Amino acid sequence: MRHYEVVFLVHPDQSEQVASMIERYTGSITEAGGAIHRLEDWGRRHLAYPIQKIHKAHYVLMNIECDNETLAELNNTFRFNDAVIRSMVIRTKDAVTEMSPIKAAESRQDRRDERPARREDEASAPAAPAATETEEAAPAADSAE
Amino acid sequence: MSRFFRRRKFCRFSAEGAAAIDYKDLETLKGYVTETGKIVPSRITGTKAKYQRQLSTAIKRARYVALLPYTDAHK
Repeated sequence: MRHYEVVFLVHPDQSEQVASMIERYTGSITEAGGAIHRLEDWGRRHLAYPIQKIHKAHYVLMNIECDNETLAELNNTFRFNDAVIRSMVIRTKDAVTEMSPIKAAESRQDRRDERPARREDEASAPAAPAATETEEAAPAADSAE
Repeated sequence: MSRFFRRRKFCRFSAEGAAAIDYKDLETLKGYVTETGKIVPSRITGTKAKYQRQLSTAIKRARYVALLPYTDAHK
């Protein structure tokens, strides 16, 4: 069993599928005797450059522990799932459980935003405020394009 | 003898005793790429070789997952 860090980018139109995708992947990993040490949903972020003419994508980060076959299977599902526009797997030495810098920056942004306004939006359109946050979080990426 | 007084370069990572450079730590990585998106050489930044190697892989990973641009000529 080895530790891996997996990041995958989902097409923004398929954002609703993310929850079920994560569920499916965690299911197959734990079934094979692996473990999920960290699971972060970064939401829709602005890409630093367009991929397949798409400017935004839904990022998911997972730190997992699994065997070779499970990883190969996971990679295979990424490859043949059209909703996944890009994925990266890195081998890590240990299980990483602390919050990633991106998620940390995001939650800092959340706290700075006025809370009541967000509460109202959340009921009607949960994706919209998240999208504006990520734009604010990466101004350099915007200007670079 | 140099005519101008130049501030001494120092390696931020070895000063802090950083364990590893994370490709997700964009605030740090952005300090080591130029406006055009190139990796700044260690001879300019003064980063120690050990950390420059980590830095370059971190930047390349961040580029692959579109957290950092490859160039400013995208799109």
